[in-house]
Amino acid sequence: MKLLEHESKTLLSNSNIPVPASFLVTKYNPILPETPIVLKSQVPTGGRGKAGGIIIVEEINNLQPSIQALFNLEIKGFIPQTLLAEEKLNIAKELYISVLIDRASSSIQLIAHIDGGIEVEDNVNFKTWSLANPDFDAIGQELADYYQLPGQTFALQDLIQNLYKCFIKNDATLIEINPLVLTADEKLIAGDCKMTLDDAAAFRHDWNFEDKPVEANFVTINPTGNIATIANGAGLAMATVDAAFEAGLQPANFLDIGGGATTETLLKAFNRIVEYKNLQAIVINIFAGITRADEVAKAIVAAKEQIHNLPPLFIRLAGTNQAAAVQILTDKGIVIMPNLESCLVAAKEVVHD
Amino acid sequence: MTNLFEGKNVIVQGVTGAHGSFQTKAMVAAGTNVVAGTTPGKAGQLVEGIKVYDTVKDIQQDHTVDTSVIFVPARFAKGAILEAIAAEIPLVICITENIPVHDMLVVHQKIQGSKSTLLGPNSPGALLPGINKLGIIPANMSLTGNAAIVSRSGTLTYETMAGLTEKGIGQKYVIGIGGDVIHGMGYIECLQLFQNDPAVDKIILIGEIGGQEEIAAADYIQQSVTKPVFAYIAGHHAPIGVQLGHAGAILGSAAESASAKTQKLATSGALTANSITNLVKLVVEYQPL
Repeated sequence: MKLLEHESKTLLSNSNIPVPASFLVTKYNPILPETPIVLKSQVPTGGRGKAGGIIIVEEINNLQPSIQALFNLEIKGFIPQTLLAEEKLNIAKELYISVLIDRASSSIQLIAHIDGGIEVEDNVNFKTWSLANPDFDAIGQELADYYQLPGQTFALQDLIQNLYKCFIKNDATLIEINPLVLTADEKLIAGDCKMTLDDAAAFRHDWNFEDKPVEANFVTINPTGNIATIANGAGLAMATVDAAFEAGLQPANFLDIGGGATTETLLKAFNRIVEYKNLQAIVINIFAGITRADEVAKAIVAAKEQIHNLPPLFIRLAGTNQAAAVQILTDKGIVIMPNLESCLVAAKEVVHD
Repeated sequence: MTNLFEGKNVIVQGVTGAHGSFQTKAMVAAGTNVVAGTTPGKAGQLVEGIKVYDTVKDIQQDHTVDTSVIFVPARFAKGAILEAIAAEIPLVICITENIPVHDMLVVHQKIQGSKSTLLGPNSPGALLPGINKLGIIPANMSLTGNAAIVSRSGTLTYETMAGLTEKGIGQKYVIGIGGDVIHGMGYIECLQLFQNDPAVDKIILIGEIGGQEEIAAADYIQQSVTKPVFAYIAGHHAPIGVQLGHAGAILGSAAESASAKTQKLATSGALTANSITNLVKLVVEYQPL
């Protein structure tokens, strides 16, 4: 789960990492901040600054119009529910620091760069430290040397120790502070923060964050594609899209219905799929392991009965409880194809540009 | 013992759960010698005629254990894996998905220098047709033979296995290493196993977008694998920065794309396909020089 900036900063602050003084502005919150102030749109996406989602308000007269403008500004498809109003920092230097899980070494890693701020992706030569059995005093010393801020050694030692604790305590998979601001009066403050928490660990936390769309299992690849795909398992879903392309079709989406797919979740998926305006066929490729093929068959029957503008379905359904699934579908006159290839060949016949 | 995956005495941790008992039945039906199972507090029960114990250590009073297959729910899975490692079980296979990544960081540290090898988590396990079914890979879609399959994706593993079986190409090994960011055995350990087993005559490697593991596997193939390798990387049309399904499949940089990995594998000597159907064709039509 990706957090909003203000949610991330609350967690930082709870771990004794300095953040700017701030409060939240909602559409229903009449309290107006004093100027000068920085207003920041709270949307779950990057590129916010470039999109105009941050406004520095110097004059009190500009405050209300700026708040309105931000509430109306859509950024990469997101409209903010809240704005973060922050004190304007007196910036001397912008640095970069993050903690994440490095898959190659299967350990937690600290990453730093002397140049923070926007377009940090273009930087090269990031400094990295493994945080498996970390010595924070030594790493903090090296970090201070690297940032060329010898006077901040103690502050950086504290910062990385607190950052690590924050990472562990919250089951984070990413904490990125960018910029880490050095103010004119020589304080280190988290200017902006992106944090991702591990959904799998939700059971041991009392998380209460703003709902954001979770789209890992349904991704639109091409809104004008001529076929839709449904599969189970990320690998098989990707492979189904690849095979459709190879067969000369234009898949609109990637959809992994996952392990315990129910009739309800499948119907939801069908309802989204039929919104694609150029849709002419749906390819369903299920290899049931933990999923039961008969459950999927029931969902297909329900979709046929409830969704009237459903295009032709080309179905491959194998694995656990396959015989029962075949029975359910053939009773309704629905054909099952022997494999993915035959589905694609048949779909190609009905699709035209 | 000669081969890690051919150990005869198998236990199931989490044997009384819905998945545990259902899959234990399937393993026994496929001929796997499941000697016992565990569920804390349920010692003395029977599941499919198999005796339930409280702990792995208790089982070891009565049996030598070669392999443990774990179906314990995610929130208790770390404890179950650590229990198996502490009991020095040679092969520990974790089927459980959605284990917190911080729990796996702890497991990863503990497994270093231990006497155990871990496969998974979020893995379908390993199937050696006619020898051992260690996990959830459907045995009825397999055939005994000399091919060896390794994959990160469960269903894609089944798809490939079924495709080969349909064409009469049997398998010695079908192994799913699991789709999680932090996991046990990787491609290289599997390639090493396949290269060193004289019963294997061809290797099928299935990868995905995201991460660098297939790149490292390609280097290993170039240096150390003399048997023919057939490879397919799923996700040729994945949008950048968007997670597709499980956590492992997120395309972070160009080097992690399907085309970059495919090219790397091709220059390392593997025969590559751009779709799963073409992969099976490639294996079927292969003529040794």
